[in-house]
Amino acid sequence: MLFMEFSRYCERLEKIPGRLEMIDLVSSILPGLSDEELPVFVRFIMGRVFPDWSPQKLGIGPNLLYDAVAYVVGTRREAVRGEINAIGDVGMAVEKLLANKEQTSFFIQEMDLVEVYRDFERIAEAEGRGSQREKLLVARKLFGNARPLEGRYLSRLMLEELRIGMGEGNARDAIARAFGVDVSLVEHAHQAINDLGEVALLARQGPEALRDVKVELFRPVKMMLAQAGTIAEQIGDHGEVAIEYKYDGSRFQFHKRGDLCRIYSRKLEDVTVGLPDIARQLSAATDHDVILDGEAIAMANGRPMPFQYVIRRFRRKHKVDSMMEKIELVPWVFDILYLDGATLIDLPFRERRRRLDEVLREHIAPQFRTGDVAEAERIYADALNLGHEGVMVKVLDSRYMPGIRGRQWVKVKPDVETLDLAVVGAEWGEGRRAGVFGSYLLAVQDQGRLLPVGKVATGISDEMLVELYQLAKESVIAQSGKEVTLEPSLVFEVGYSEIQASPNYESGYALRFPRFVRLREDKGVEGVETLDALSERYRRRSQSGATGGA
Amino acid sequence: MMLQATIDTEIFRESIDAIAALVTECRLHTAEDHIMTRAVDTANVAMVSLELKRDAFDSFSASAGELGLDIGKMKNILGMMGRGDTLALNVRDDERKLELSFKGYRYSIALLDVNTIRRDPNPPTTELPGKAVLQGSALYDAIKAASVISDKIALGIDPDAMTFYMEAEGDTDHIRLALGEDELVTLHPVAARSLFSLDYLKDMGRVMARAPEVEVHLGIDHPVRFAFEIADGNGRVEYLLAPRIEAD
Repeated sequence: MLFMEFSRYCERLEKIPGRLEMIDLVSSILPGLSDEELPVFVRFIMGRVFPDWSPQKLGIGPNLLYDAVAYVVGTRREAVRGEINAIGDVGMAVEKLLANKEQTSFFIQEMDLVEVYRDFERIAEAEGRGSQREKLLVARKLFGNARPLEGRYLSRLMLEELRIGMGEGNARDAIARAFGVDVSLVEHAHQAINDLGEVALLARQGPEALRDVKVELFRPVKMMLAQAGTIAEQIGDHGEVAIEYKYDGSRFQFHKRGDLCRIYSRKLEDVTVGLPDIARQLSAATDHDVILDGEAIAMANGRPMPFQYVIRRFRRKHKVDSMMEKIELVPWVFDILYLDGATLIDLPFRERRRRLDEVLREHIAPQFRTGDVAEAERIYADALNLGHEGVMVKVLDSRYMPGIRGRQWVKVKPDVETLDLAVVGAEWGEGRRAGVFGSYLLAVQDQGRLLPVGKVATGISDEMLVELYQLAKESVIAQSGKEVTLEPSLVFEVGYSEIQASPNYESGYALRFPRFVRLREDKGVEGVETLDALSERYRRRSQSGATGGA
Repeated sequence: MMLQATIDTEIFRESIDAIAALVTECRLHTAEDHIMTRAVDTANVAMVSLELKRDAFDSFSASAGELGLDIGKMKNILGMMGRGDTLALNVRDDERKLELSFKGYRYSIALLDVNTIRRDPNPPTTELPGKAVLQGSALYDAIKAASVISDKIALGIDPDAMTFYMEAEGDTDHIRLALGEDELVTLHPVAARSLFSLDYLKDMGRVMARAPEVEVHLGIDHPVRFAFEIADGNGRVEYLLAPRIEAD
């Protein structure tokens, strides 16, 4: 498939409002693709370049993209930025710039979909000295061969945001339809191997291939997530439940085969280098090949330390020894997904826990089982006394559902209202905050779109302001007066006193007294609060307010 | 042996610099009596072709083949070489390595897989009727002068005035240089004018500055071709640059 054809399909998909029609179109394309094209197409159409489990990252910042485009069309970075500013969309702006380029070229080489993918691989593989130049050269070559429409989708792919509304759910349905297999099989295979591109190849082989997929070592699985809830509800619905402490640390996934082990973060990044002590402690605690799910917490004098201490370690790439002396990290393991070649995610939690107890000698998170609400509440109080965030209440018969935020796992913690929100814009500061961004525009997600819900300026220390500015400045895609638009990549945890319905922001809600709590470096934009969940919070709050006086 | 040759380091440096002005890697073709390469820059805007005849070398023996050269690496190694040294080049048929020996140093550089390098571009077959021949240093000086005020330059021939001219327009400033027959080696007085990016011309100009004579072939809103000799007439370099469209 030529990249031009891919671009034309994207253009069609972008115009289709309904998801069924989108699925129809995509499912009609998939069978005609070669085995090499199929996984690339499936990932590209979702705006992704590499498999979700892969540690590979393109690492193209907006500035590098602007420079490549500027070179090809014969202008300056500022002019490219200006155009994006005026149009408000990187893809559309690049398309227009390519259509009106002042610099002519001798020819345009037809680009193949798979070739574009290989060039992306080259960009991702460039590292060390001269890597920015190498990335730039490949990006120039791609834009040099791109016709305007191709430029629209090429630039969006480079920023890994295609904006055609094709999410995982639609892609899954299209794969099932295209190859005549059951959606649940596609979903299950996706949960185990964490790459819809490869799942599509398996679907082509048939239902058996999908049924046979196994979790593989060193290919991180998405983490199962929890909803907020209450002890009483969970026990009321399920009777006896498993209760574990909710640690204020950082989630990790530990993979081990023989002497070899890797540790992955919540975003599935390889963080082994920063966590040699965790690696050592867990490797010493088992003789088996395993994938373990747990939380790393910082300990000082036998008490858990705040989250900030842990995340600092997850970010480190070198010089861990000196850090290690200061902060001791301890792993608490609460689940097992793989054991000596066997995939365990389909077993009930009760059974996984039994295996975990058998194969891991230490670092198993304490677990309590009870169907008695009063006893559960006592455990919850203990957890808080011990300095933990709260408790997790888990359904004993539940399977491990990668990437799913369901009610099988419920988190219970004191009523501190915070939201994890995507940072989509900022405003230049004044006075003491001059020279850095003084406030940030935050958004919830809704079906792949990010909708603003308010700005946060309070609660950010001067030191943090500088740190945030360093992180955010590379992502500036447009500027207008004092306001800048940011390519979404940062996630803030934000506290507030109340959610209000408001016409001022696109989400339809606004936060009262928002304050910055922390930077969620362990979370990606896809993990931020959804509009539905925000509406639910709003509804709950207003209901309890209404009955509160009675 | 695919290639076994010795060459003056200055000639080698000239050749690598000529290629490095546009690309970071290229396919080098070897033949019994010459080596040559042709490459296009990443944006398909500029091309370079270079040929070195057997006589450019002190000794030369080669068979027909194709080598993937990492020009960036070559530039780094050139920094080690002194003036007047002799460089020995060796590529064995079965090895994907280029051996460079000079002054007791012996570098072994991995050759690139030619399949990962863009295929030789076909140069467009455009008629460029206007032609001026001038000193490379005069050409480079004009390019440098223009780049102070602008990022593009017009090159042209005025047959009435019998001049080859260069003209650049800045936001507020304007610069024009016209060279008459006295200041040129030769002039084919056919009306021509095209606009070019100075980004590219600066890199090419630095190389051309060393050439005693550079041929400039021009048309109207057409590419420009620069051609000059290296290695005492035993080598030839050509640059081709696509024009810019004059903005309204």
